[in-house]
Amino acid sequence: MIKINELSKGFGNNEVLKNISMEFSKGNVYGIIGENGAGKTTLFRCIAGLESYNGEILSDITPLKNHLGLLLTEPFFFSKITGREYIQLLCNARGKTNLKIDNKNIFDLPLDQYASTYSTGMKKKLAITAILLQENEYFIFDEPFNGVDIQRNILLTEIILKLKELNKIVLISSHIFSTLSDTCDVIHLLRKGDQIKSFQKQDFNNLEQEMKNITIGNSIEKLELK
Amino acid sequence: MTNRKIREAGLNPVLGYLFGTTACILLTEYVFLKTAFAKYLVILICISFQFKLSEKNRTDFLLLTFGDKINTTIRIFENLIIAVPFIAILTYKSFILEAIALILCSIMFALFSFHASFTFKIPTPFSKKPFEFSTGFRKTFFIFPLAYTLTVVAVYVDNLNLGIFALSLIFLTTLSYYAKPEHEYYVWVYAATPKMFLKNKVLNASKNATLLTAPILITLLTFYTAELELIVVFYLIGHLFLWTIILAKYSAYPGEMNLPEGVVIALSLYFPPLLLAIIPFFYIKSINKLKFLLNDKNQ
Repeated sequence: MIKINELSKGFGNNEVLKNISMEFSKGNVYGIIGENGAGKTTLFRCIAGLESYNGEILSDITPLKNHLGLLLTEPFFFSKITGREYIQLLCNARGKTNLKIDNKNIFDLPLDQYASTYSTGMKKKLAITAILLQENEYFIFDEPFNGVDIQRNILLTEIILKLKELNKIVLISSHIFSTLSDTCDVIHLLRKGDQIKSFQKQDFNNLEQEMKNITIGNSIEKLELK
Repeated sequence: MTNRKIREAGLNPVLGYLFGTTACILLTEYVFLKTAFAKYLVILICISFQFKLSEKNRTDFLLLTFGDKINTTIRIFENLIIAVPFIAILTYKSFILEAIALILCSIMFALFSFHASFTFKIPTPFSKKPFEFSTGFRKTFFIFPLAYTLTVVAVYVDNLNLGIFALSLIFLTTLSYYAKPEHEYYVWVYAATPKMFLKNKVLNASKNATLLTAPILITLLTFYTAELELIVVFYLIGHLFLWTIILAKYSAYPGEMNLPEGVVIALSLYFPPLLLAIIPFFYIKSINKLKFLLNDKNQ
């Protein structure tokens, strides 16, 4: 379980998250959606302990961060580290040994090449492989589907469903609605730091329609396309 | 960029340049006083700075923005600007031939983008515990054959100082692996308390530095048995500096090491016993800096 109570976060006068309260249970996948700047990444960073905040974040296993696999929107790789070494580094950090990296290279990555030479999608796949091999209890995937090819997106969806089956807690943000509707049990909508609404699986169709209405509005007409 | 960095260190740029120049002059005098191989060190430091400017992405950007001819001119000028203080030092010390060689090298290096050909994987003995040493080793791999060759030359010409210099060169190189703070993710990811984290960093660094210096240490101890104490003292001081730089890095984390850390380390170069006081000081500061990211509840 992860429980967030009245979480607020500001940068100077700019309040990025306002009184967020959410609860995440084992064996469930949660989507966090919102426009750019809604506060999704900041929420994830607060949960991970990368940002200070007001409010409370509780978890059944503590410290939460030591059991959390965090996929950043743009994973950072330093130069001259190979894919294999990156996985080794992240697993060493969590005390995981006897890795069978080659057997678990499900994205067929060129592990002996420098990670800095990987394409955007390959970098993301490498970061995902590493956090999966860490054997975490909680997962945060910030934009996991971006830049990844369609075949591997299908594989990634299946991995998320497997994590759910293994009773893990998974939080995802994505701008591709179908990837969320395929995997999530609940979707939380954020707007400018406010927690607008939460949608259960049966309400996802309404959510999609609501988002279309809000987002599209009359902007297409405004363009006066000819 | 340099002005900005000096301001970030809390200094007026003019004062910063004045302070930097004074420190350089004092350090140069000190190095030339201590070793006959200082001229090589001066050339090596200059080339290592120029080497950084030849980074592929950087040279590609210059080429795309300014075109072939202007790019070459810019590269030659910036290499020469970097070389000016080093040429001045060599000339002042009457090493005219070396100064001319450095000018020619600076022009020649401007014509190449060295990193472009280094995308192949350089094997490293540090892959099991990768990070600073595995990546650092690959960036500075050319130093090691140089240092080992110097050791052989030292024995051949019966010059212990040269051997000690080779040993120090390896330690100096390993210190550079800890000069920049890593992205916060690579600290956060550790399931460790700050104490465990630092212990792990320091022990790993010492283990790896021992591996790199072992050929030199063994050679010197074999051929200069009578000077065992001196060699061991230099070796241990090397380790102490390595620990100091690691702790200094995390004492300023997530920021970069700045003037205060630099001054303290420079002072300990003149008077190494100072390290025994500096290490605990940086250690306590580091623990405090790492508490938040490593979620130490005893903060």
